[in-house]
Amino acid sequence: MSSFLKLIYNEQLKLYITKSTWIMYIILAALIIGGAAIVATFDEDLSKPTGDNWREELQTENEALLKENEEAGEEEGFVISINNDIIAENNYYLEHDIKPSSYGAFHYVHENQGLLSLISLFTIIIAAGIVANEFRWGTIKLLLIRPISRSKILLSKYISVLIFAVITSIFLYVFSFIVGAIFFGIEGANPHILLHTESGFEYVSIAGDILSTYGYKLINLVMMATFAFMISTVFRNSALAIGLAIFLMMAGTQIVFFFAERSWAKYILFANTDLTQYKTGNTPMLEGMTLGFSVSVLIVYYAIFIVLSWFVFTKRDVAGH
Amino acid sequence: MNEAAMELINVKKKIGKKEIIKGLSFHINKGEVFGFIGPNGAGKTTTIRMMVGLMSLTEGDVLIQGHSIKTNFKKAVREVGAIVENPEMYPFMTGIQNLKHYANMIPGVTQERINEVVELVGLEKVLKDKVGKYSLGMRQRLGIAQALLHRPSILILDEPTNGLDPAGIREIRRYIRKLATEENVAVIISSHLLSEIELMCDRIGIIKNGELISTQTVHDEADQHEKLQQIELIATPHEKVIELLESKHNIDVMQIEHSLTFQCEKDTIPELVRTLVSHDVSIYQIGKARASLEDKFFDVIGENVIE
Repeated sequence: MSSFLKLIYNEQLKLYITKSTWIMYIILAALIIGGAAIVATFDEDLSKPTGDNWREELQTENEALLKENEEAGEEEGFVISINNDIIAENNYYLEHDIKPSSYGAFHYVHENQGLLSLISLFTIIIAAGIVANEFRWGTIKLLLIRPISRSKILLSKYISVLIFAVITSIFLYVFSFIVGAIFFGIEGANPHILLHTESGFEYVSIAGDILSTYGYKLINLVMMATFAFMISTVFRNSALAIGLAIFLMMAGTQIVFFFAERSWAKYILFANTDLTQYKTGNTPMLEGMTLGFSVSVLIVYYAIFIVLSWFVFTKRDVAGH
Repeated sequence: MNEAAMELINVKKKIGKKEIIKGLSFHINKGEVFGFIGPNGAGKTTTIRMMVGLMSLTEGDVLIQGHSIKTNFKKAVREVGAIVENPEMYPFMTGIQNLKHYANMIPGVTQERINEVVELVGLEKVLKDKVGKYSLGMRQRLGIAQALLHRPSILILDEPTNGLDPAGIREIRRYIRKLATEENVAVIISSHLLSEIELMCDRIGIIKNGELISTQTVHDEADQHEKLQQIELIATPHEKVIELLESKHNIDVMQIEHSLTFQCEKDTIPELVRTLVSHDVSIYQIGKARASLEDKFFDVIGENVIE
């Protein structure tokens, strides 16, 4: 093994040997299994009709829903709007003569994508601790008196954070798929799903949509993890890093809206982390923003985070606590 | 034997406007155990941190086997094994996991070497326990094991016997001496236990307020061959002894409580004793008065005051 791989191996070992890391995986697993159990128990009506006479069944469902809407009072507008959505969905299937896909493992993985926010949270916690903890334990001294440059040690730690994020996401997808397959079965090799977008319905491959969603979410994840990593390196305080990063992750969009009137609002990191705003049919958060602009802003922020961490870590005197 | 393993050249450290280390210059030879002592706040730990590259030098340089810690950090630090302050390890990992972790960071440390080091510090039985459960003494041993993994030519130990029981202290002491004499390792030990330093070290450097006040040899071999020796005598009656020595041998005697001290040539001692005995003086004890390190220390340092 090369010396750098050994460093990464060391960092992974330290991560996965601690209980708190395992608790993260247990929480994820519990949410995935629990989610499947709840869906399987309470929602009998998951699947669209997939038999040979699916057209007639969709028609009857629509008629039933319309009837329900007529009977519903005004205060039940919520029910009506849901029903209207389902009717519109069914009509799309009928008009385009697409046979709906049954519910199964792929659909379940697709639904669990929300848990990526939880993975962002976990990654922030890991990033916040990976440097600060060495200072807290006092082990930083023994770490830095090895014939390895400080830059390499820092890089091995940063890469370890990213590896953690990737492994945890793979766990989320694979475990969701397995649990989904056990509870609902697998719906085929490349099932499609009907998505509501701002521009109407889109019939897409689930696997493709999962990949693209992951790509978009990864940007926010990496930016926030890098931010936490920087705070942790500069202030040697993991609690501060976790607190700040999570606060900003939660409040990011509100901050942008709060300052939306100002001309500099578009330079705020959180105005740019969600690149789905540039997908066809979507409108950017603020006026005058383009994909190129957002990517540039992201790169500048990223470079600042990395350079600041690197500069402080390599130049700092390691003194007492 | 007299080749320098580590050399400090006018090392200075300023933090803010305060000069903490004011130009240290000294060297440590191969195969030598060097004691680094000084009152609290004198700058011992800061100096050690600069030796291993944890702190930057404001001025001057540290050469380790000829490699500068400033410009050739990797090569310089490769030669160093150290415990800085407390032997802090990952509490959630076992002893062996900790050692392997550090072994991974230096090329060429084999499993055999790890076993060898473990055996040497006597940690075989607790190797699979979490370090969090270790006593301070056990952590100290693990710290020493960690520092020895890569066969360094310079070993830097901050308070190495801290937390060890008397048997453990003796073991470590023996081991340090063995490393120095058999493997020609230069050992730097900082300690506040002066008697410890005295037992272990060949040479000591005394540091106060960031300045090296003096370096001296502990077991002054030279003393043995000096003509005039400091003699300590316990005999009664005092007045008679003082009078006899002055009149018959022309020696000035100082009385400190119950003992009498004076300087004389080694060859005259038997004659002195004969004189005293023939005049009915009761001699209880006569010997060379050896100033202990503690006396030397306070001679140079004065009182333990941090300025």
